[in-house]
Amino acid sequence: MRFHFQHFLKAILLGLFTLFFTNLHITGDITKYINPKYDFMSKIAAVFFLVLFLIQLSRIWQKKHIHHVCSHGCSHDHGNDYWSLKRVVGYSIVAFPIITGFTLSPATLDSSIAANKGFLLSQGSNEEKVDSSDKDSLMEDAESLVEKENIDIYSSEHIPLPNNNYLSEEEYNDKFRLLQESETIQMTDDMFSSYYGEINENPQPYVGKTIKMSGFVFKEDGFTNNQLVISRFLITHCIADASIIGFLAEFQGAETIEEDTWIEIEGVIDIGTYGGYELPIIKVTSLNVVDEPSEPYIYPVLTLLE
Amino acid sequence: MQSRQKQSVNFSTVFVLGILLVLLIPLLLRGKSLAIPNSFQQLNTIFLSILIEAIPFVLIGVLIAGFIQIFITEEHIRACIPKNKFLAVLMSCVVGAAFPACECGIVPIVRRLIGKGVPLYAGVGFLLTGPLINPIVILSTYMAFGNDMEMALLRMGVGFVAALAIALVISILFKSNQLKKSKGSHHLDARVNKKQPFITRVNDMLKHSIDEFFDMSKYLIAGAFVAAFLQTYVSTQSLLLFGDNQVQSTIVMMALAFVLSLCSEADAFIGASFRNVFPTTSILAFLIYGPMIDLKNTIMLLSVFKAKFVFVLFLLITIIVFIFVNLASFI
Repeated sequence: MRFHFQHFLKAILLGLFTLFFTNLHITGDITKYINPKYDFMSKIAAVFFLVLFLIQLSRIWQKKHIHHVCSHGCSHDHGNDYWSLKRVVGYSIVAFPIITGFTLSPATLDSSIAANKGFLLSQGSNEEKVDSSDKDSLMEDAESLVEKENIDIYSSEHIPLPNNNYLSEEEYNDKFRLLQESETIQMTDDMFSSYYGEINENPQPYVGKTIKMSGFVFKEDGFTNNQLVISRFLITHCIADASIIGFLAEFQGAETIEEDTWIEIEGVIDIGTYGGYELPIIKVTSLNVVDEPSEPYIYPVLTLLE
Repeated sequence: MQSRQKQSVNFSTVFVLGILLVLLIPLLLRGKSLAIPNSFQQLNTIFLSILIEAIPFVLIGVLIAGFIQIFITEEHIRACIPKNKFLAVLMSCVVGAAFPACECGIVPIVRRLIGKGVPLYAGVGFLLTGPLINPIVILSTYMAFGNDMEMALLRMGVGFVAALAIALVISILFKSNQLKKSKGSHHLDARVNKKQPFITRVNDMLKHSIDEFFDMSKYLIAGAFVAAFLQTYVSTQSLLLFGDNQVQSTIVMMALAFVLSLCSEADAFIGASFRNVFPTTSILAFLIYGPMIDLKNTIMLLSVFKAKFVFVLFLLITIIVFIFVNLASFI
């Protein structure tokens, strides 16, 4: 019997990967990296790592000349006995994410990333109405019907919804209706992206309504002193695909609020222009500075895991 | 021999010390504020999130690769693949389309298949359509574009035809398997092992998967780090300055797809967010190009194939996707 150091090292790394993935789920930090709707896959990964770790344990002590299953036509590296710089670099690279994963706590994306992703340039266009014109006109019809005749036409289930949902469809319908009917719009985490999409694409019916929301402050070059964006990151799958969404807000003294401050606001929706585009603007009436929430990100309402 | 052993002891010491240090650091730093710049913490978070997202798929990939190595013989493969080149390419693209994979998980599988005697062009077809066309990608594309089937259909259709074309050109340009470190002779592990009990073979398969994982994961990790670095320090808007005619914006979106290295299951939502800025053609290019080749899977491909082949493949994918999406805009 002989001790194989590289097999030992691989076992340690596999063990650490198992711990890392398990730890993510135990501490709940997983939500700071990926959309919790997809965390099933990373649970599977933890189980796979555990199995591979156990298998690898059996290779640490082996007979000297073990028959290897693929001693010939195998193009990959079985790494047992000798060392080279390449190997050291290889193991270091594999160890790197484990080191940073255990030592650094996950950061919440901030306005520096938002600035790289770009906010108003890529979004907020109100000119493109071709794709959604059917839906828009339906919504408008519905809106005016509700206003004029006070008929609840939504119960007839004919309104095409922009997406499916892991809220049940009924719940979602109810919440979406709330956006259109109530005078005060509450931007809750679960409906944030849907409400945002609707108001942004079709702001007209919402002008004059009160809106309550919270988010972090983001500013672009070219904002005036009284402008800021109250924004959230929308995570589709993992943090790497985050996109920033948020409303342009206006009030006296916006320049005194630092970027990345979390604020809670109440305001009235209006329509303004920015960079040549028409877009909804919130005229802020009251504002509170708040702590960063434990769940800073929002997730799209639509899901693949029906 | 003597010096080698000595060397190994030195490295061992360094590693054990290193690992101890790693385990101690969190204890030492507990409660203290880290002197690490915020931007690096952002980078690290993005880096880890790409890995956490990709590693489950890589694990599935290496398990399948291990399975192929131990259980599939060259005879199986020879019996399956049509002799006719075009039919072989067509078949590989169809199999890839039916096979749910992501662009990093598929690399070890393709390497093992080609190592087992699958012709290079068939391997490439499989490599290209595997991540691009599968139920999850179609569904997410459909949803991201406001429950509009047009984009999902275009993505599948144009992507499939482009993959066929690329694999066919590869079949003309390259005769050998282009694998790195190929020793030429492929011993039939599966046939040799047939006499062994099933449980031993499963054990062997898992050991293979472990070695394959360590082989592949370092390239994945390096690629994920570069992608995260670019996301943290390079502004997307700097890409947008290049111009807004169709040709320029298509090039911009393809560059973006390459650099961002998004999983094909998630990229539709990012692509959709550019609808207001760019024409459909550019977004289609983004959606087709990204799953076929991106930064992190190029680095993985470089570890498997000869650099020259990877370069030619990269050029081919770039040119053919560019031409095909532009042709599609006339339909």
